[in-house]
Amino acid sequence: MASLRDTSTAQPETTVGRLPASPAGALIGRSVPRRDAPAKVTGAARYTDDLVVDGAWYGLTVRSTEPHARLLGIDRDPAFDWSRVAVVTAADIPGENVVHLIYDDQPALVADEICHHAEAVALVAAPDPATARAARAAIHLRTEPLPPVLDLLAAEKAFARYEISKGDLETGFAEADHIVEGTYSVGPQEHIYIEPQAMIAAPEVDGGVTVTGSLQCPYYVHAALARALALPIDKVRVTQAETGGGFGGKEEYPSMLAVHAALLARAAGRPVRMTYDRHEDIVATTKRHPAVIRHRTGVAADGRLVAQDIDVVMDAGAYATLSPVVLSRGALHATGPYRCANVRVRARAVMTNTVPAGAFRGFGAPQTEFAAEIHLARIAEALELPAAELRRRLAYREGDVTATGQVLRHSVAAIDVLERAEEVADFAAERAKTAHAREQRHAHATRADAPARGMHPGAERIASGVGLALGWHGAGFTGSGEKTLASVAGIELTADGRILILTAQTEIGQGAATVLPQIAAEALGVAAEAVEPAPLDTALVPNSGPTVASRTTMVVGGLVAEAAGKLRAQVEERTGRPFVESWREDVAAHGPTRIDVRFEGYPGIEWDQERYRGDAYPAYSWAAAVAWVDVDLDTGQVAVPRVVAVDEAGRVVNPMLAAGQVEGGTLQAVGYATIEEMQVVDGRYRNDRLATYLIPTALDAPAIEAHLVEAPFPHNPHGAKGLGELPMDVGAPAVIDAIHDATGAWITELPATPARVLAALQALEEEREPEEQRAPEPVGEGVS
Amino acid sequence: MTAPSAETAMRTAAPIYRFTVNDRPVEVAVPGGRRLLDVLRLDLGLTGSKEGCGEGECGACSVLLDGDVVDSCLVPVCQVEGRQVRTVEGLATGGRLDPLQAAFISTGGVQCGICTPGMLMAGRAFLDAGTVGMLPTGAALTDAAIREAISGNLCRCTGYGRIVEAVRLAAEGPVTTMTAPEAIAAPLARSGQSVLDLDDPDADTPRALAEAYALLADGGRRPLAGGTDALVEREAGVPGVHRYLDLAALAELRGILVADGGLVVGANTTYAELRRSPLVAEHAPILAEMAAQVGAAQIQNRGTLGGNIATASPAGDSLPVLLALDAEIVVGGAHGERSIPASDFFPAYRRTALAGDELILRIVVPIRPDRTVAFRKVGTRRAQAISVVVLAVAWRAEDGAWRDVRVALGSVAATPIRARATEATLEGAAPTAEVAAVAAATLEAEITPIDDVRSTAEYRRSVAGRILHRIVRDAAGW
Repeated sequence: MASLRDTSTAQPETTVGRLPASPAGALIGRSVPRRDAPAKVTGAARYTDDLVVDGAWYGLTVRSTEPHARLLGIDRDPAFDWSRVAVVTAADIPGENVVHLIYDDQPALVADEICHHAEAVALVAAPDPATARAARAAIHLRTEPLPPVLDLLAAEKAFARYEISKGDLETGFAEADHIVEGTYSVGPQEHIYIEPQAMIAAPEVDGGVTVTGSLQCPYYVHAALARALALPIDKVRVTQAETGGGFGGKEEYPSMLAVHAALLARAAGRPVRMTYDRHEDIVATTKRHPAVIRHRTGVAADGRLVAQDIDVVMDAGAYATLSPVVLSRGALHATGPYRCANVRVRARAVMTNTVPAGAFRGFGAPQTEFAAEIHLARIAEALELPAAELRRRLAYREGDVTATGQVLRHSVAAIDVLERAEEVADFAAERAKTAHAREQRHAHATRADAPARGMHPGAERIASGVGLALGWHGAGFTGSGEKTLASVAGIELTADGRILILTAQTEIGQGAATVLPQIAAEALGVAAEAVEPAPLDTALVPNSGPTVASRTTMVVGGLVAEAAGKLRAQVEERTGRPFVESWREDVAAHGPTRIDVRFEGYPGIEWDQERYRGDAYPAYSWAAAVAWVDVDLDTGQVAVPRVVAVDEAGRVVNPMLAAGQVEGGTLQAVGYATIEEMQVVDGRYRNDRLATYLIPTALDAPAIEAHLVEAPFPHNPHGAKGLGELPMDVGAPAVIDAIHDATGAWITELPATPARVLAALQALEEEREPEEQRAPEPVGEGVS
Repeated sequence: MTAPSAETAMRTAAPIYRFTVNDRPVEVAVPGGRRLLDVLRLDLGLTGSKEGCGEGECGACSVLLDGDVVDSCLVPVCQVEGRQVRTVEGLATGGRLDPLQAAFISTGGVQCGICTPGMLMAGRAFLDAGTVGMLPTGAALTDAAIREAISGNLCRCTGYGRIVEAVRLAAEGPVTTMTAPEAIAAPLARSGQSVLDLDDPDADTPRALAEAYALLADGGRRPLAGGTDALVEREAGVPGVHRYLDLAALAELRGILVADGGLVVGANTTYAELRRSPLVAEHAPILAEMAAQVGAAQIQNRGTLGGNIATASPAGDSLPVLLALDAEIVVGGAHGERSIPASDFFPAYRRTALAGDELILRIVVPIRPDRTVAFRKVGTRRAQAISVVVLAVAWRAEDGAWRDVRVALGSVAATPIRARATEATLEGAAPTAEVAAVAAATLEAEITPIDDVRSTAEYRRSVAGRILHRIVRDAAGW
C-alpha cells in the first residue's frame, strides 16, 4: 500500500460557524486520503467491464422504437442460426415480470404494451459481440401504434399527487400589497457518469444467481432479482465492482440491467455480461425529471411573503420508478428556505410515453429550488430591494416553521451561508461594478451619434454579471423513510485481526469507502487505515439502505459510529485497557466480535404521511452560491468563469472529499443551467451521443471556490449532515440570476442555451430599438 | 448464420502488428481495423484505459502514441505498427508512482476514477511537451493552458479544479515517494477475455501512392486518414465498411511547404501540425487559429485536413476557411492529378468532387500578404464542440474599401458555402456601420440553415449575421 502524506495545500478553506469547533477527535475534520485512489491512478482498479469472466457471453437488448404501441409479436428471422445464441422474452421470466421498486409497474420486458421509445422487449446473448449484434438485428417486433401522451401539461394520469398547506391562502393574498407570478420550466438532464451501465450475471449450481456490476444500491438490485427470478433471497447475491460515477443514475436502473443479465445467464446457462454503449445508455436510462413550476406569491410592502401558491408538475415518463419520492422532495423544497405564513404547494408527477425519469443528484429539489430562487429575485425586483437583502429578511432561522409545520430546532445555517457567500464574493461591490458597466453600455447604445445598429448589439461584445442563490436540502430519506428502512450497519473485529465495517454503502466516487472507516476509527480511537470497509457483497454486509439521498455520512455514519462505540466498550471492558492497545489481544483471547446496530429514528422527528405534515427531514443542509457570467451579446453564449460555493452540511468529516463534492456538484449545476440540453422529440431523446449531449469540459468549468461552514447535527456522534446533493440546488439559479444581472433578461427555462439567451437578448433589443434603426432590408434573394 | 464466409476465412490469416506498449514489445494478430482500445483491453489485458463513449468525445481511453495523446477508441491498430504506446499502467516506473499520479492523489483529483487514466495521459503529454521544449515550461503552466490540455477528457465528478491543480503540482516538482501498488508490475498477460469482433474491419496500408490507387480502384475500401470520422461512423453503426484503406504510410500526403506562391499542405497534415508549423504561422495563420478550435488535443493529434475535406460535413471547421482562402484541393488517381477550387469541391450534402478512384493529396493556399482573414466558430461549448455556425471572412483593404471579399460559412446549409450575395454587399465598400448592417441582413436572408440537434435555424441565421457584423465592426474599429 502506498504511504501517503496529507497535504495541507489541498485542503479547502473550512470556516467554522457559530457552533463549537471540532472536539478533541483526531480524525473528524481531517483530509484522510482516499483509500481507492492508488488503484485508480495506476489502472489497477477493476470496473465491471474490466473483469475477466471465463466463458461469459455478451448480452444485448432489443428495444421498442415507438413511444406507445401494442406488441403483437416478436419475430425471429428464420435465416439466422438461433442455436448459437440465447434469447429471452417476457414469456421466459420465471418470477413476476417487474423491476421491483415502489409500485412494481415497470416490466422487465414488454409483454403486450410498449410504453416508451426505448423499452426493452427481448434480450439476446451470444459468445461474441458480432454474433450478438447479428441476433439482435434478426429480431423484429410486430406492433400496432397507439396514441402517445407526450406533453406533461396535457397528461391526465398521475403517479403521485401531494398537497402541502399551511395557514390560509386567501387571508394571505388579501394582506398582499403585490402579487408576483411566474412560470418556470426545466428540461431533462442526463447523468453522464463516464462509466456506462454495466452488469455481469453468473448462474450458480444451486439455481441461484450472482450479479456483479456498476451500481449504487446492492439491496435494490437484490430485491429486484429475487422477484423477477422467483428466487429465495439467499440464492441471490449482488456484489459491486468499482463504479465509475452514479449521481442517482445507478440508483434504480441497475436493477433493470441486473434482471436482464440474470435472465440471459439463466437462459444461456453461463455468465453473461452486459455493458451499454454510450448511445444506449443515454437513450434508455433515466434522466432528471423535466418540470413546470408555477408561482403566485403575495408580498407585503415591507417585504414579507404573505402567501405562496405553488404548482409543481413533473414528467415521470412511462413508469413510476422513484417519481413519487422525487416529487415529494421537490414539493417539500418548493417554497425555498423562506418564511411565509400561508402556503399551498400542489404537486403531481404525471405519466407520459417517454423514457422514465428517475433519481439524479438533488432528487426533485434542483427543479423546484431553481423556480423558487428566480421567483424570489423577481419579487425583490418588484419591491426594488436587493435580492440578497430580501433573502436576509426572509430566510429561515432557528425556531421558524416550514410549510409542513416542522419547527427548525437545530443547525439552521441559511443566514450563515448567505452572509459568508456575500463576504467571500464581495458581492455588493461586484454588483456595483456590473451595474456601472450596464449603465455605460446603455449610455453608449442610446447616444445620439451611435452608429445605426440594425438589431445588432453595441460596441461591447461581452456583458458580465454576478448572481446569487440560496438553498436548502433535507438530509436523508423524506418523511418516515429512514424509520421504515430501519437500516442495519455493523462492525466486526475479525478472527484474523482486522476491523471491518459492514454496510451496503457503495463507493461511487463520493468517498464513502474512506469516510465511513474514518468515522469508525474516530470512535475506536485508532488510525484511519486500521479500519476497512467490508467488500460490497450482499452475502457479507447487512442492508444499511441505499447509497442515495445524501444519507451515507449522516445516517449510516451514525450507525457505524454507534456500532464502533459499542465494540470499543466491549473490548475495553474485557481487556481493561484502551481499545487501541488491546484489540489485537482481545481477538486472540476472545475470538471475533461483530456488532450490528439498527436505525431507530432520531429524537423528536415525527412525520404524518397521510396529512403531509410534520418533520419532513431530520435535518437540513444549507448552501449559497455566487456565480459570475460573461454573456456574449452576439451569440448568447454564456461563460461562467467563477463560482463561490458556500455549503453547510454539519461537521465536515473529510474536508478534501467534502470540497470535492461541492465542486463537482456545482459544475453539474452549471451544466444544467447552461449547456446540458436534452431535446425530446416524439418521446425520443434527440441528444443521444456525447457529441450532442454536451457537458462542461475543463475549459467550460468555472474556477470553483468551495467554502464549508459547520453547524453540527446533534443526533449523531460525528455531527455530519448530508452534503452530496446540496450544491446541485443552488448553482443553476445563481447562474440565471447572473445572466439577468448582465443583460436584464430573465431566463425562465433551463438550460439557458445560447438560442434561448439570444432570443431573450433580441427581445430586449427590440424593446429598446427606435423604429428607424430596425434591420435594413437584405440585398438580393436568398440562395442556397 | 451458415458456413464460414470468405470473410471469416480471411481472419485465420490475420496480419501481425508489432509495436511496443509501455516499453515492452508486443505483437497481435488481429484485423487492422480493430481499435487500439480493444487490443489493449481485450487482447493484452491492459484494462486501465476505459471506454466511455467509443467516439472520441470523453477521452477516458486516452493513451500516448509516440508521446502524443490520442483517443485509443479512434486509432485502428494498423496505424500503431512500429510505434510506441504508453498507457496508464506504464506511468509508474521502478515501483514509484509518476509525480502526476501522486499529485492526483494528494490534491483530490480522483473521485470515481473512471476518467483518471485518460486524464493522467493527457496531463502527462502536456507536461512532457513542456519539458522537451515544445512549450516553454514555466509559461505553459497557466490555468488556461492546463485546462486546454485536458479539455478532451470529460470528468463528471470533480469539477476539474483539483485535476488542474494536480497537473500544476506535478510540473512544479516531482515530490513523490509514493510506491506503486503491485498490480501494475504484472506482465502483459493475455486476459483470457480476448474475443475477436467479427465486425472489425480489415485494413490495407499501402506504402506507395500507385499501390493506394490500385487498391482504391479495386473497390470496397474506405479510405482512412486520422480515423476521427471513420471510426466514429463505425461506432454510430454506419454499415458497409469491411475494409479500410489506411493512408497513414503515404509520404506523398505529408508535409507543409511553400511552392509557386502557394502554401502547400499535405492531406495527412494533422491539426496539431497546422498549429505548430512556422510556415502556416507565416502565410496562413488562420489555419492554425482554426485548428486550435477543432476538438481537443486527442482529435488535433489525429484529425487531418484532408480527412476533414473528404468527410465534407457542412459543419467541418476547416472548410469555410479553405473557401475564404481561395484554396485549391489537389486530388489524384491512377489517371493523374487535378486541382479543384475549394468552392467547387462540395456539390451536395456530404458529397465531394472526388471520383471514386481518387484521393485527396494536398491543399494549396495562395499566399497573399495583403489579405486579412477573420474566423469565428460558434459552438455550444469551448472545446470538443461541433460547430453551430462557422464563419470565415477574407478581404483586402484598398483605399479604405474592401476588395476580393470572401464570406464563407459552415453549418448554415447542406454544404459549406460562399455567401456570394453578402460578398457583393461588401465588395468595394468601406466597412461602415450601414454596410455592416446591410451585409448582415443579406447574410441572414442568403443562408439556409436547418433545425437540428445542435441548434435552431433561427439561431444560426441570427448568429451568422451578428458575428459578420462584429467582424466588420472590429476590423473597421467603429
